[in-house]
Amino acid sequence: MKTLLRIIILLSGLSLGGCFRELPTELEFDSYQFQGIDEDAGFWKPILLESGSDLSVPNPTSVSSPEYQMELEQVKEAIRTMNEQQRKNVNYWTNNPVIRWNEIALELIAKYNLIPGPNEDGTYTLPSPNDPDGPPVFPFAHPPYASRALAYLSVAQYDGLIAAWYHKFRFGRKAPFEVDPEIPHAYVTNQIPAYPSGGAVVASASRAILTAMFPLEAAYLEEKEREHLECLILSGENVPSDLEAGIKIGEEIAALSMTRASGDGMKNAQVSKPVSDSIANAAFERFGWKWKNLESPTRPVGLTPLFGKVKMWNVPNVEATRPGIPPTPGSPEYLEDVKILRKYANEVTVERRRIANFWQDGLGTYTPPGHWNDFAREFIVQYKLNTIRTARTYAYMNMAIMDAGISCWDAKYYYHYPRPIQTIEGFETIAGTPNFPSYTSGHSVFSAAAAEVLAYLFPQEAQKVRAWAEEAAISRVYGGIHWTFDATVGTTQGRNVAQYTIDVAKLDGAD
Amino acid sequence: MNKYTCGSRGLMKTPVREPKMSLGTYLKTFKLRYSVFSWLTFAFCLIGQQALFAQSPTDGLMMPKGEICVLANYEFGHFDHYWEGSFLRENQTIATVHRKTALAMAAYGISQKLNVYLGVPFVSTNSTRPNGGKFAGVSGLQDLTIALKYEALKSQVGNGELSGYASLAFSSPVSNYLSDYQPYSLGLGTQQLSWRALLKYKWNSGFYIRATSAYIWRGYTQAEREYYYNNGSYYTTWMDVPSSWNHELVVGKWFFGNSLRLEMNLSSLRSTSGDDIRAYNAPQPTNKVNMDRVGGFVQYYFSSIKGLGVLAYYNRVFQGRNAPELSTLGAGITYQFKL
Repeated sequence: MKTLLRIIILLSGLSLGGCFRELPTELEFDSYQFQGIDEDAGFWKPILLESGSDLSVPNPTSVSSPEYQMELEQVKEAIRTMNEQQRKNVNYWTNNPVIRWNEIALELIAKYNLIPGPNEDGTYTLPSPNDPDGPPVFPFAHPPYASRALAYLSVAQYDGLIAAWYHKFRFGRKAPFEVDPEIPHAYVTNQIPAYPSGGAVVASASRAILTAMFPLEAAYLEEKEREHLECLILSGENVPSDLEAGIKIGEEIAALSMTRASGDGMKNAQVSKPVSDSIANAAFERFGWKWKNLESPTRPVGLTPLFGKVKMWNVPNVEATRPGIPPTPGSPEYLEDVKILRKYANEVTVERRRIANFWQDGLGTYTPPGHWNDFAREFIVQYKLNTIRTARTYAYMNMAIMDAGISCWDAKYYYHYPRPIQTIEGFETIAGTPNFPSYTSGHSVFSAAAAEVLAYLFPQEAQKVRAWAEEAAISRVYGGIHWTFDATVGTTQGRNVAQYTIDVAKLDGAD
Repeated sequence: MNKYTCGSRGLMKTPVREPKMSLGTYLKTFKLRYSVFSWLTFAFCLIGQQALFAQSPTDGLMMPKGEICVLANYEFGHFDHYWEGSFLRENQTIATVHRKTALAMAAYGISQKLNVYLGVPFVSTNSTRPNGGKFAGVSGLQDLTIALKYEALKSQVGNGELSGYASLAFSSPVSNYLSDYQPYSLGLGTQQLSWRALLKYKWNSGFYIRATSAYIWRGYTQAEREYYYNNGSYYTTWMDVPSSWNHELVVGKWFFGNSLRLEMNLSSLRSTSGDDIRAYNAPQPTNKVNMDRVGGFVQYYFSSIKGLGVLAYYNRVFQGRNAPELSTLGAGITYQFKL
C-alpha cells in the first residue's frame, strides 16, 4: 500500500510537467520577406504633411567615404560584442517594428484604462495632465482616449515613413550588411535603402507621442526607444547616421502630430457638472428623456460629454454621420426591445455569454479600438506587409476608429438615451454598464468603422471582419447594457463614418 | 462498526482513541476546508475547492475499512470589504456579496489506513440591493474533488498519541462556469492538485492539536476574452492561476466521551505568484491572493441514532491581500454506515 501511494504521489507531481502553457505577451513572428517594398511610397499623399519631401534630412555621406567606413567599424564592433539579451531584443523587434510600437501602445492603454474610484467623501476626482501622478493617475485611457492615442501615433508613423521613403529612394544608400559582407544581417533581406532609417523614424515618433499621451511612462518609453535604436545597428540594417536622420524625421512629425492633438478639442471633452447637466436637460427638453448614472456614489458627469466636438480626421462635420432618433421609451418598438433584453438576461446561453465576454474589452483592457488593432496586426503579418503599408493600415483604421468614436459620442450626448438598467425595473447585466448614454453603442460604431477599413485594405478578409463587427455590436445587447437599436444603428453609423476615410485612402497613391 | 460510527458511544470505552473516522468529523473538516475554499473562490476565486478537500483529508481522523460517511453541508458567506492589493476597501458597485454553498461529500475507508473522498458543491452568488453595478449573480455546480488520505504514523508518545497523515487531492470544474467573472465566479475554473501533510497530537484528556501544511498547485483557467493585463499584455484566453501554500493550526477538545468536539483554528493561504487587483477594478483569476483566517468548529455525534452527527462552524478572514474580508457560517449533517 505504501509503495502504491508513493507511486501515486510521484505520478501526481510528474503529470504536472505536461500542464505548462505558453502565454503569449506579444505576436510571435519572425522577420519576413515583404510582399513588396513600394519604391514610390515617398510620393504617396501623407495625412498631416503636404508631401513626403516636406521633412528634410542632410545629404548622406557616400559608403566609400572615411566617415561612413568609420561608422561601419562601429557597427561591426557592436555586433561582435552583442550579448544574449541584445540578441533577444533584435529578434523581438523584427523587421516590422511598427507592430511592436502598436503593441506597446495597447499595453499602456490597458495599464491606464482604470476608472477613478470615489474618494472617502463620495466625490470623484478627475485625472489631470497637470498632475499625472494623481491620485487618480493620468490618463484614464478609456475608449475615446485610446482611439485618439492610437490615431495620432499611427498617423505620425505613417507620415514619417512616407518622408523616410522619399529620401531613401532619392539617396539610395545601401544598408551596412550590403556594403560590407562581413556584417551579418539579422533579418530576412528586403531591398530598401537605409538612409534615413525607417525604424528610427518609428522609434522616435512613437516614443514622443506615447510619452505625451502617457506622461508617467516617459522613462519606460525612452528605454524602449533606446533598445529599438540599438537593435537597428545590431541587426546590420543601419549605421548611426541612418538613425540620426530617421530620428530627425520622427521628432518633426511627432511634433506636428502633437500640435494637431493639442488643438483638437480633447482638452474640453470632459466638462463640469453644470455643463453636463445642461447637456442632459437640452436632451430632455428635446426628447423627453435623459440618461442617468446609477453608480453609487453617483458620478456627477458622464465620460467625455464633448468628445463629439473633437476635430475629426476625415468627416467634414459630425452631424453628417449623426443617426436618426431612437424609439421613445414606452413605445411599441421600445417595449419589443425590453422583451428581447429580458429574454437574453433570463436565458444566458453559452454562446451569448461567450460573445458578450469576447467583445467586452472593458476596464483594464486595451478597449475596442485596441481589439481592432490586435486583429489588424495579425492580418499585417499574414499578408506580409512592409513597414510603410503597416503604418498605412494602422493610420487609416485608427483615423476611422477615432472618427467613429467622435460620431458615436455626438449621438450619445445629443440623444442622451437611457441604459437598460435605468428604464427596466430590476434589470441586471453580465457586463458592466458604462458611464455614458446608451445610443449608439460605442462597440458597434468603433467596430463597424474598423472593419470597413480592414475590408478595404484586406478585401480577402472583408466578409470575416464585417461579421466580427456585427458580433461585437450584438455582444453589448447580450451583455445587457445596450438596446438592439443601439447596436444596429451604431453599426450603420460606423460604416458611414469609415467611408469618409476610405475615400481618402483611395486617393493617396498607394492603391 | 460500532466503535467507529460517527456518533458512537462505544468510543467511550476506548477513551484514548477517538472515532477513527467519524464522518461528521470528516465532513466537518472537509467542510471547513471547503468553506475556506468557497470564500476564497468566491472572493476572488483564488482558492480552490481543492483546499477544501485537501483539508478534509487533513483531518486527523480515519474512516474504518469498509465504512462510508456522507456529508450534506450548507454555508453562507458574505463580505462588504475586500483587500485591493493590501488596501482594505468597500465598493458600492458590488455592495455586499453573498455566496451560498451546498456541499455533498462522501468518504470511504478503503483500508484502516487509507481513505478516499469525493465531493462537489453547488454555489450561488449575488450582490445585495441596492448596488451600483447591477451585475447578475450566478449559480451552478463548481468543482468535483477526489482525495486520498493515508495514515502514515500512529504511536503512543508521552501522555497521548501522535499521528501523522498525508493526503493528495485533485479537483476539476464540473460545469462551464466562468472564472473570469469576479467576484461572482463560482470558482477558479482550473484543475487543482494538492499535497498535504498533517501532524496531530492528542492527549489522553481529550485535548488535541493539529498542524497542517499543504501545497496547492493550480493550473490555468480559460477566460472568454483573448486579451488581459497582468503587469503587461497577455494575448491569450488562458490565465495562470497562482498556486499556494496553505497552513493551518488547530486546537480542540473532545467532550462527553467523544461525542462532542470543539475546535479553534487559524489558517493562512499564501499565493506563490500573481498580480494585485488594480485600483477600483475587478479581481481576476491571476491575482495573488493571501489570507489569514480564524474560525471555530463544533461537532456532535448522537448517541441515540447510530452513525448520525451534526456540525457547525464560523470563520472570518481577518487579514488578506486581494481577498475578501469574508465571514462564513456553515452547518451540516453527517451519517456513517457500513457498506
